[in-house]
Amino acid sequence: MSTNFDRKCSSPSREGGALRQSPVFSLSPLKTTLATQKHEATLRVYISTIPVKSASTILGRLRNAEIDNGLNLQHLRRFAKYTDVPEHVLSSIQAARRSLGLGPDVDASQELLLLVGGINSVSHEEVHYIISPTVTPVPICSIMVPLLAPTSHEQAVSWSSRFWPTVYKKSNPFGPHPSIISRAQEDIDGDARTWMELAIGAGQESRRLGHGEAIGVAVVERCDGQPRLLAVSGDARWLDWKYGSSGNVAGHAVLRSIAMVATAIKASENGNIDSTETACTATRSIFHDKPMISAEHGQSRASTSRYLCHGLEIYCSHEPCVMCSMAILHSRFGKVIFNKRMPETGGLSSEGVLAHGLFWRKELNWTLLAWEMSNSDASDETLGLEINA
Amino acid sequence: MDSQATEANPGVSRAKEDMSSEEKAGELALQTDETPVGCVFVHEGVIIGRGMNATNRTLNGTRHAEFEAINEILTTPASTSSGDLTDAESSEGVPDQCEMKYTPAILKECDLYVTVEPCIMCASLLRQFGIRKVYFGASNEKFGGTGGVLNIHRANGRVPKEGEVLERHKDDYEVSGGWLREEAILLLRRFYVQENGKAPVPKKRKDRTVKDVEPLEETTQS
Repeated sequence: MSTNFDRKCSSPSREGGALRQSPVFSLSPLKTTLATQKHEATLRVYISTIPVKSASTILGRLRNAEIDNGLNLQHLRRFAKYTDVPEHVLSSIQAARRSLGLGPDVDASQELLLLVGGINSVSHEEVHYIISPTVTPVPICSIMVPLLAPTSHEQAVSWSSRFWPTVYKKSNPFGPHPSIISRAQEDIDGDARTWMELAIGAGQESRRLGHGEAIGVAVVERCDGQPRLLAVSGDARWLDWKYGSSGNVAGHAVLRSIAMVATAIKASENGNIDSTETACTATRSIFHDKPMISAEHGQSRASTSRYLCHGLEIYCSHEPCVMCSMAILHSRFGKVIFNKRMPETGGLSSEGVLAHGLFWRKELNWTLLAWEMSNSDASDETLGLEINA
Repeated sequence: MDSQATEANPGVSRAKEDMSSEEKAGELALQTDETPVGCVFVHEGVIIGRGMNATNRTLNGTRHAEFEAINEILTTPASTSSGDLTDAESSEGVPDQCEMKYTPAILKECDLYVTVEPCIMCASLLRQFGIRKVYFGASNEKFGGTGGVLNIHRANGRVPKEGEVLERHKDDYEVSGGWLREEAILLLRRFYVQENGKAPVPKKRKDRTVKDVEPLEETTQS
């Protein structure tokens, strides 16, 4: 076609052009839907005061009462010293004492503040019932606390000073734990760029040959730190397709790569059967499971028999559409990395128009790690916003 | 049998017949060690495509019944005379030589009957290819795309902002669940009792027996 395309198609090699710097890629983990939507959700809870010596008795009575069903408040201290809570918590409890005719003087060394439970899970009367055997009258008030666990030590410190003593337990209620993400990122950081450039190159070849949009995918296996390319595919939605509309939906690059991995697994399971035979044998098919363009040929076979694409890495030139995002989950991939975000049709991100954040949703039966791998080269052509990649 | 909406609906009896047809596809899947999901595409009262789940046979986790059925529809040759394929080379990637019976546009005039609610992937497939209405049996809270987890059939699953009414989009489609729900659920339960031999060994499973289906409190129309 035009020289314009040729220039764009020549994938930036590592030697780099003398005139044009090759693009710099940088990985940033995707946010989960929970992280973007429930950033600082709070919950109203009852608190009270008890004598220090009754703490274990009260703990037993709380356990028997079985309050806070389904609520996980493990990140909040059950008991707090007067010196450890914010000023507004102290004034609330003082007001409660005053309303019971109690004086403002408290022996802070002999008393503890107690977090009983969410006001929707326990009634005022129940709180009274739990505490009254140890001390009467019972000052009760309600305060706001963070609903979900903090994701960093700094956040825990900040919440402790604003709400109630909060503990960082190295867990992340919003998604995969930060340390897991950073470790996984270290694993792929060294060579992710190579695979992404292969994916982008395959997409450009597909586009140049008129097979499809400039969308490409590469699938990589990583064993003991050693990466191995399993499949490369370009989009094929316009191949053998004389109809308009949005093309052959079954020809999306993600689906094609998944099929190529399946073919490789089948070949390794059946001994050395020619892969052309194990691929779709029907004379006509909407599935384009066989390698067609040069970028797609010569990939190594799956080294071990595996269940679907379990644990593999998939590199996508564009954020996959809803269908392809879910196909990645169904195939049990371990990591997904995309270059260009598709703000209107992408299924992975939790931020764009759809905000499905499919890579990590608790209600789905599979979760994986996801990164946006943006590059500094903004001159690249972009797909139409309405396109499903 | 009476779990679905029983309002007077001229399509009901036909829908039941079509559902039975895809139940059979599900039965076949069960015999071939596939997760028993079957579907049929119906155009003007005629079944033009059938599919059953083929994920285990193909080792491809995306080969759901809907994909298989659409593949069948879009590759049905125009002439039914089988003596047509004299040219051996025609199998080598020149499909334009053979006229197809249906164009993809027909899908927008089809209704889909499927034993289990389409997953998010298939709901998006249907949205991108086009479909008129989806009738399903059991709903799918784990990864359903037409109400179970997301509502891909409406605005591609976008959640409306507070007070916003989603405008109808040209790719939106109608969905109706609960058809032959008990049969569909029993079909699935029988499969999970016999176990998916291809799946990794589960950590722990207690006695595997087929339980009865709890009645549905309300219809799951969406």
